[in-house]
Amino acid sequence: MSDCQSLGDCDDARVTRIYEYLDGALSRDDLAEIKGHLDTCTDCSTEYDLECVIRSVVKRSCAEAAPANLKAAILDRLHNGRPAEV
Amino acid sequence: MNTSENAQTEEPAPQADAEVDVATESLEDRRVRFERDAMVYVDQLYSAAMRMARNPSDAEDLVQEAYTKAFSAFHQYKPGTNLKAWLYRILTNTYINLYRKRQREPQQSNADQVEDWQLARAESHTSSGLRSAEAEALDHLPDSDVKSALQSIPEEFRLAVYFADVEGFAYKEISDIMNTPIGTVMSRLHRGRKMLRDLLADYAIERGILKPTAEGSIETEKAP
Repeated sequence: MSDCQSLGDCDDARVTRIYEYLDGALSRDDLAEIKGHLDTCTDCSTEYDLECVIRSVVKRSCAEAAPANLKAAILDRLHNGRPAEV
Repeated sequence: MNTSENAQTEEPAPQADAEVDVATESLEDRRVRFERDAMVYVDQLYSAAMRMARNPSDAEDLVQEAYTKAFSAFHQYKPGTNLKAWLYRILTNTYINLYRKRQREPQQSNADQVEDWQLARAESHTSSGLRSAEAEALDHLPDSDVKSALQSIPEEFRLAVYFADVEGFAYKEISDIMNTPIGTVMSRLHRGRKMLRDLLADYAIERGILKPTAEGSIETEKAP
């Protein structure tokens, strides 16, 4: 539990602000405010770092190349006009 | 204007397409345009489909079906708007209509149990007790652990997290793709990310990279 209340009066609010920051969902002013806060608050910047790492780990792990024949199969269907199943 | 300096990856706007008159376009021209603009997303849609269908064969079918539908509906796509989000929406709907129905009976009760259990865990672990060294530990988890963790999160949370964290979609785009209000997207993201974080910490503990403290919170191994 963090004692920092700058980004919200409870952990949930704080984390939500950090998510919004990471998600690019903030106004310019809010963004600057949070960026300034993260520069000085160890608790919040640790939280922020961790969220960044999780994000990059998930991104890395989920990158999969489609099987080589998938593209050809799709194109084949498009050209042969097979209708969608549903 | 997007004020974020952080993460929203912008797709290059297909400027030329703003000029296309979809009403008079020939079928062949439409097919050429579709192949040029939509086929670049096959790998990305396949990766997303793998998070939905859970096995390569179903994921392939799902992507094929989504592309077939997308082409049939391509005259309804407004050129110059977000094609990637449009394709993801079709993929998601295809999954929900086709595959989830097929899977419903055997999987529903399990999914409910998993969700209850994980929500309980998520609620009991609201503290931000994780430290930088733990970020380091999570960073070293093998891809297979990360995928299993993601896969064991209930679907609507998993997809929201996937769309935001992997694809960088904005809340509004996710709300369009999943056909839910933005508030729902945000709460799914919040809870989904918490669940994921707890599960990743569990995997790290199992692998001996982290150890739990007596209080049940998490403490890092000392650096060598």
